[in-house]
Amino acid sequence: MKILIADDSRVMRQIVVRTLRQAGFGDHDLVEAADGKEAFDMVTAEKPDLVISDWNMPQMTGIEVLRQLRAAGNNVKFGFVTSESTPEMKSAAEGAGAAFFIVKPFTAERFDEVFAPILG
Amino acid sequence: MSVEVEVDESDLAEMVEQVWESYLDPEGVSPLIPTYDENQPSEVHSSVSITGSWTGHVVYASSRAAAQRAAAAFLAMELEEVSEEDISDTLGELANIVGGNVKAMLPPGAQLSLPQVVLAPEASARFPNTERISGVYGMWEGEPVSISMWQSSTDNKEEGA
Repeated sequence: MKILIADDSRVMRQIVVRTLRQAGFGDHDLVEAADGKEAFDMVTAEKPDLVISDWNMPQMTGIEVLRQLRAAGNNVKFGFVTSESTPEMKSAAEGAGAAFFIVKPFTAERFDEVFAPILG
Repeated sequence: MSVEVEVDESDLAEMVEQVWESYLDPEGVSPLIPTYDENQPSEVHSSVSITGSWTGHVVYASSRAAAQRAAAAFLAMELEEVSEEDISDTLGELANIVGGNVKAMLPPGAQLSLPQVVLAPEASARFPNTERISGVYGMWEGEPVSISMWQSSTDNKEEGA
């Protein structure tokens, strides 16, 4: 599977990659985007099977990326890894079609719980 | 207009502990040891602004050595491999994580900014019309680290205007 990791923090992208490895998902093809616009463009260009996205990013926020993808008819599996987790954000994410919502700071156990059913 | 915020020192301490457990000290060998000294020195700091149901700033400040150590822990690198950019990015993410967790405890309708990083002491920062309402201050492997919340006053007059 190809996984796109979208976060404007390079450090956080590396932590997500490392945590995926720790949770046993390191064999997948991992690609990265440094802001929301790049994430949107890369979903079209790279056709990932899964998008793991930050919420608060320059250019486009994660929820804008998800909404625009769905509006364009793209149904890629998409979820959030974010430091913000308010009930209204969770319901906005669900309403837009997000598959998961992981709150920072996170652990490898949390990744396993969320991604095992998705990545197998 | 800001409401009375319900995030106290023990809430902040719990968020900070989670950051240490997840990223900075996963093996539980070098926790942040409280000093309760709100005037401890810093050399670098980062902040996020929250506006809406509560308005103010969440600030992460530390010595440069502690910031370098945090970046090394975040990136699983040796201290000497850490670049200036790694330090900035790590500081920004630390403010973002704590700020995001603070926001989750606020009444609905708060917005979180992208982080600002300043490789200069916290004392150099001036947040107009704010007062510190809460903070966690400690030493991490002998280096100062603090996380504090600054609430904006409800009137928005410019300072000195």
